[in-house]
Amino acid sequence: MSANQAAMPAAGESFLSVAWRRLKSWEGLLLVMLLLILVINSTLAPGYLTINNQINLFILSIEKIMIALVMTFLIINGEIDLSAPSIMGLAACVSAFLFSRGTNFATALVIALCVGLACGIFNGFWIARVGLNSLVVTLATQISYRGLARVFVEDKSIGKFPEWFNRLGQQDLIGPFPFALLLFFFLFAVALVILQYSGFGRQVYVIGNSKDVARFSGVKVPRVKFMLYVASGLMAALAGLLLAARFGAVRGDLAAGYELDIITMVLLGGVSIFGGSGTLYGVFLSIMIILNVRNGMGLAGLSGHFQTGVIGVLLIFSVLGPNMINRARAGVSRRRMQAELRKRAT
Amino acid sequence: MTQTPIIKPVLQMVDISKRFDATQALEGVSLTLYPGEVHALIGENGAGKSTLIKIMTGVHRPDTGEILLDGKPAQVRNSQEAQTLGIAAIYQEPMVYPDLNVAENIFISHADRGPVVRWGKMYEDAREILAKLDVHLDVKMPARGLTLAAQQAVEIAKAISLKVRVLIMDEPTASLSQHEVAQLFKLVRSLCREGVAVLFIGHRLEEVFSIGDRITVLRDGKWISTRTRAEVTRDAVIRDMVGRDVKDFFAKGKGARGELLATVRGLGKTGVFSDVSFDIYRGEVLGFAGLIGSHRTDVALALFGIEPADAGEITFEGKTVKIQSPEDALKLGVAYASEDRRQLGLIMPMSIVSNISLPMLKQYLNPIGLIRSRQEVATAEKFRQRLNIRTPSVHSDVARLSGGNQQKVMLSKWLNAEPKLLILDEPTRGIDVGAKAEVHHMISDLANQGIAVIMISSDLPEVLGMSDRVLVMREGRQMAVLDRADASEESVMAAAMGHAELAQTAEQKAAL
Repeated sequence: MSANQAAMPAAGESFLSVAWRRLKSWEGLLLVMLLLILVINSTLAPGYLTINNQINLFILSIEKIMIALVMTFLIINGEIDLSAPSIMGLAACVSAFLFSRGTNFATALVIALCVGLACGIFNGFWIARVGLNSLVVTLATQISYRGLARVFVEDKSIGKFPEWFNRLGQQDLIGPFPFALLLFFFLFAVALVILQYSGFGRQVYVIGNSKDVARFSGVKVPRVKFMLYVASGLMAALAGLLLAARFGAVRGDLAAGYELDIITMVLLGGVSIFGGSGTLYGVFLSIMIILNVRNGMGLAGLSGHFQTGVIGVLLIFSVLGPNMINRARAGVSRRRMQAELRKRAT
Repeated sequence: MTQTPIIKPVLQMVDISKRFDATQALEGVSLTLYPGEVHALIGENGAGKSTLIKIMTGVHRPDTGEILLDGKPAQVRNSQEAQTLGIAAIYQEPMVYPDLNVAENIFISHADRGPVVRWGKMYEDAREILAKLDVHLDVKMPARGLTLAAQQAVEIAKAISLKVRVLIMDEPTASLSQHEVAQLFKLVRSLCREGVAVLFIGHRLEEVFSIGDRITVLRDGKWISTRTRAEVTRDAVIRDMVGRDVKDFFAKGKGARGELLATVRGLGKTGVFSDVSFDIYRGEVLGFAGLIGSHRTDVALALFGIEPADAGEITFEGKTVKIQSPEDALKLGVAYASEDRRQLGLIMPMSIVSNISLPMLKQYLNPIGLIRSRQEVATAEKFRQRLNIRTPSVHSDVARLSGGNQQKVMLSKWLNAEPKLLILDEPTRGIDVGAKAEVHHMISDLANQGIAVIMISSDLPEVLGMSDRVLVMREGRQMAVLDRADASEESVMAAAMGHAELAQTAEQKAAL
């Protein structure tokens, strides 16, 4: 656990010592892995390391990545949200449904965001206020939100969005950067500051490590959890709308099955599934790794199924890795201590 | 001893020692059990009773010493083996399976009845055992509906079905009514007539005297005395339980008592504790004494808002207040440092800095909610010096510190909240002697600075040495509030054990 904790910036340390500590941690390992993959991929395909290619990689998964930001908070906090992809689908379907029935499109978008908010509040109520298990609650709402989405669009595919909305998903906004990517970087920066440097972020870690210590220290545990679920719902709705803009059409099964990819990104980033540790730096690196591994394997002509298998292996590695680092460290310090004791004895 | 030599002991524990890290739990303890006797084992919390019975039942293995069964050395490596040897234990909370019926529970651990359950035979056998014990229970009734006492009867029947020779009963009466206790004792006696040796652990003296044929007292992991019922007196037993060297603890100087800080009147929580009333003054240390199950901690949790009280009134600095949550308590200036450092006190894998600032995190935030890390570190450094926390860096994880230093971090965490009333729950449990003295000094300093301290402790010399007054609780009730002059090991223990005559003076005091 503390392998990742070590990467949390401790107050008042010099930048260099922080950087060095990170390099020795899981994040450091991820960085080395990423560089390795980039080198291999560029030898496979000349022109691989261009900005355009990297942007393209991001854009193809941008909605999942956005959800991964909030999921990082949730998993560090010791919870999970399996319903996010269903909220994506529901928000997109609501907007498409309303627009097709003649509602003003901007109004439809706002309502869709409000639906996401409501979904998050509903999850948060059961988990944070009532205290039910988040895995069970969000599994249940995953099914019901998805069902609701299908009620709105039935088996149809609703398209024909306004021109500007479609462009939002496809065209570049500033230089080569599309709107969704810029939005992501903005959200990433905000999330990074909140999680790693704010009081709220500290509380997220504290609760993830021990709900009881948090409560006994006057932390409002239910409030923090509730806010995270609300944020998750809102972020999912936003991501769902972006996905709709990128696809140009909406179906009932929009974003179905995304949750596993999202959770993989978070866990490979070194976030403990038991909560309490991990950083957004690590999650960002893991996202880069997953995107580039998939792309590289595509370049090498490996099938999508094979790619998924490799990601699975990586995930197991991510669970094993920090454990092994910890054990090795414990071994070293134990040997040191024994040596020290022997020295004292003589 | 007084047993006729014709009867051979069934179980002998010879010179047993057991050490856990820094604590010597048992040191050369010997105990002999004869068939058909009830042997009562008593001692304060932490005297080593539990460790001893865990060794008997194979949960722990002794470091040194021998277990003799019928005079021959026996190995008890796990509870399975203990069962095979005929040693069984029942605890405060009976361990019955609520969804199985009485007969199934009685025969739950029988592996020797073949792969197929012969229901008719099982019910018949169950009825026979219960009849022998003179217990009237429907063997087909699910255990769920049974009273605690009936569940214990089932457990005893289970032990008999296993041909038990030694039955250990660990505070079996703790949650029973008086009537049920009488029933249980009748059961115990009929067990003895069958030749079973019963080791009875209890902390109500009256019970121990009424059921025990012999009474053994343990203290600080050592054997102190074994007496027959005829030889024993209450005073002698109490003296044996508490009378240890009193030189190794710190005595707080008598500080000037400040003005009244808070009054608590009739505080209660349904089913947990009731009618707790006391005043507390600035600069005073109020000790909370009592045995396990006295619910001292629950009173503290009510004052800190974790488990709010549902009866009574708290006046704090002259105003009537409601404390519904820890945030409420912290706002008033009430802090509570738990006895359970690992589970409730500190976030082990986080740094000293983050742990100390946690309750007061708001004070370290800038206007947009980011942590002012420099201030946070400065606070941690301040406490590191003031409390002499030994660590290479304030950024170290708390998990890497020794118990004593962890305790100091926890105290720092709560001192940083600048409490007016600081509740310390077992502040020196599990730390070494040196750190203990430092903690005692610090508590004394805090009182001198005008902080009111409530110190919950099971360490009697500590309570007596540190407290200006001692509040004694027993089973959720306030037994006495003793002034320093009146508080002695005997008077506190007597009140804690509900021993009427000795506690009387104390209660008269409390009424004043």
